[in-house]
Amino acid sequence: MRIILAPLRRHSLMPVLVLLQVALACAILCNVFFLAWQRLQPMLAPSGVDADNLILVDNLAAQGRTYTAAESVAGEDALRAVPGVRAASSGFGLPMVSIASIMVNLQGPTHTAVGVNAFFGKGLVQTLGLQMVTGRDFLPSEYRPWGLGASNGSNSDWDTGVTQPVIITQALADKLFGAAPAVGQLLADPDPADKSDHGYQVVGVVKHLLRNEIGLATDGRADYTVLLARNIGNTAMLSYAVRVDPAMRDIALQGVKNAIKRQFGGANAGGAQARVQTYNEKRNDAFKSSRAALWLLLGMVLAIVIVTLVGIMGLTGFWVQRRTRQIGIRRALGARRAQILCYFFAENLLIVSVGILLGMALAYAGNILLMHYYELPHLPWMYLPVGAAVMLVIGQLGVLAPALRATEVPPVVATRSV
Amino acid sequence: MVGYSMELALRGLRRYPKTTALAVLTVAIGLAASMTTLALLHMLSADPLPGRSQHLYLAWVDAVEAKSQTFTSLDGVTTYDYKRLKMPDAEALLAAHKGTLQTVVADLDARVEGSNGQHFNEQLLATGSDFISMFGVALRDGRSWTVAEDAARAPIAVIDSGLAQKLFGTPRAVGRVVQIKNHAFRVIGVSQPYSPQPHFYGLNAWAFGGDSQESIFVPYGAAVDAGLASSSTDGCDDATDKGKRFIAVDPLHCEWLAYWVQLGTPQDVAAYRSFLDHYAQQQTSLGSYGKKPQSQLLSVQQWLTLQNVIPDNVRLNVWLAGSFLVLCMVNVAGLLAAKFMRRSVEVGIRRALGASRRAVMLHHLFEAGMVCFLGGALAWPLTLLGLALLRMQDQGFTDLARLDVAMFAALFALALGVGALVGLLPSWRVSMVQPGLQVKSA
Repeated sequence: MRIILAPLRRHSLMPVLVLLQVALACAILCNVFFLAWQRLQPMLAPSGVDADNLILVDNLAAQGRTYTAAESVAGEDALRAVPGVRAASSGFGLPMVSIASIMVNLQGPTHTAVGVNAFFGKGLVQTLGLQMVTGRDFLPSEYRPWGLGASNGSNSDWDTGVTQPVIITQALADKLFGAAPAVGQLLADPDPADKSDHGYQVVGVVKHLLRNEIGLATDGRADYTVLLARNIGNTAMLSYAVRVDPAMRDIALQGVKNAIKRQFGGANAGGAQARVQTYNEKRNDAFKSSRAALWLLLGMVLAIVIVTLVGIMGLTGFWVQRRTRQIGIRRALGARRAQILCYFFAENLLIVSVGILLGMALAYAGNILLMHYYELPHLPWMYLPVGAAVMLVIGQLGVLAPALRATEVPPVVATRSV
Repeated sequence: MVGYSMELALRGLRRYPKTTALAVLTVAIGLAASMTTLALLHMLSADPLPGRSQHLYLAWVDAVEAKSQTFTSLDGVTTYDYKRLKMPDAEALLAAHKGTLQTVVADLDARVEGSNGQHFNEQLLATGSDFISMFGVALRDGRSWTVAEDAARAPIAVIDSGLAQKLFGTPRAVGRVVQIKNHAFRVIGVSQPYSPQPHFYGLNAWAFGGDSQESIFVPYGAAVDAGLASSSTDGCDDATDKGKRFIAVDPLHCEWLAYWVQLGTPQDVAAYRSFLDHYAQQQTSLGSYGKKPQSQLLSVQQWLTLQNVIPDNVRLNVWLAGSFLVLCMVNVAGLLAAKFMRRSVEVGIRRALGASRRAVMLHHLFEAGMVCFLGGALAWPLTLLGLALLRMQDQGFTDLARLDVAMFAALFALALGVGALVGLLPSWRVSMVQPGLQVKSA
């Protein structure tokens, strides 16, 4: 150890610069990895729906009036009649449709409260192709009409006057009820101002269902979605989910487009602006900005790695060159090539480790700074060893070439003056 | 001595050209990353209407007869609030005429049709007679409308030259008739295309957009008469018909008009503020909904800050790129230190021959400065490339990513600043070389 520390003390500029580089690179890398993971999580989360066979229709808004419940159902019927269509539901707040989404706050028996997205629509479990884990689907008699900005009778307000059945996801069941069985449990709205609320009762649990506010689908919140027993009645805005036969996907898509045009093509029926897209197209659009950000972050990581690698190589190379004579003396005194190699690796390890320690502190400080300005959670500690490991590898790689050159120094150098 | 130092620095650059190239490249990448992100931030935070915006204020009074609507979910999602007014309140403020100029503003979608039967979906601005002069819309032809025409809800319109060309095949469209939702509007003026960035007076419609702009301006009363309605609102009275709260909102009972007022002096601002407070206190009916009187008067800058117009990502990227630049600087400092220390023998000889520490340091500082200047020169095309890549992203605001003169100057100022900082430590270190020792070992 002494033999490593002594030259470090004597010529401190080079190791200090390497150390600083490592610290900075480590701090930036930890935060960049973290930001990238925040973007990546929603993209990797399972959707829970039959993605390949799902078509979504949205942006149907009547001009100067609202749709009636009959029009909503007629649309469903027209879509079901299209060849290749297996199921169709008039719904609201559908997957990947974020033009209008419904947010609900729920509180479980353990007082854990969560904000979730709610999906409305008759028979959505069927139409979206969700996988039921326990419990049951809604009964036809349980549905109550609901519509955006339109009245549907006295029992159809936000608060229906009775406890409403709800289907939750496995992730929500785990979060709200822990190990206890979820079916049959009651959920309340945690808002103390909303005393009129009659709460929800869990009737079923589905495996996955990705929320439609995908920006919030991070840190285990991807499946924070519930289905409520609501069918779409009179409403200012319509959207449909359509599940098609895998063998007839293209024909069905064209058929759905035609059906929407026929059904809603009238002067004030809003069909002109309707968007008919497959789930995968919608998903692709929804993640466009995330993808761009990820490419940017990837470029950033590459630039950091290259710059740091080149920096360490350059500095160590110079430093090794300056110590050619010492290396020669050590070789003349009996040190083997492997020992010289080990010496430089160990020295680099020491410097890089100190740099990493400093870098971890910097990473944390940087994260706190970012948290102050942006809606970002705390940097989980797991990112620190990841960043550290990357830096250790970079450090050892950077020292490889100079160290190999050092082993080539012949012992006879010791007898010459440099 | 400066000239001599320069010459030595130039010679120094050419020795070990690989190290020099590496240092220049590293500086260039760091500078380009920083400048790309900074240029975008600079464009996005630019003054939308230089010379005018400092006198413009958004006025808002709470007059909605309903419980406070703000809802924040446990995920931190808050419902929109663009501080708009119901039409009766907006008209009351207009009638009071307490500002130098004042107008209401609402962005609406409209289907317009010209003489040739073709129709287009256009962005329409329902506004008041003061808008054109207050917001600096340049008229090519014709005139704007008057307060009297506003009051008479006259079906007249100012259209921009692009729309005139589309509808009538010529920008000279004054006197022609344009159909809006099958209502005839007479064109009284033709304006130059108008699109301040950010779109601060109608953030509910869009914040930044190269393609989206209002192409037709009409009196707000006439727009209502033609059956146009806002598709969004900040809140409606409880009495509002349920079917008129979304998509096409009730103009009388829902907040849909933004109210802008021009105020010349700080005294005017204070006076207007107390006028608004007074107006808010008169809304006595709101007490029964559990609301206190509320009013706000916001400058353009305050409004843009409140609405968080600049995407978080843009600022975040500036931080990232900035820290990357620091990393590059440490790296280059290391490369330069190595390069300088390689010639410590030579420096020792120079020192022994009488060169002062200052001279040695100056020479090396110049050399570091040149490396960074070259880096800056190389960063220029790299920055342009980075901005071109940003523009290709198409996120609504990215088409504003351009390098203006100020940012170009900032690039070189930054490069030289970086050069001085980066060169300091290695130059100092090399200037500390003892004269005698080096000569001896050589």
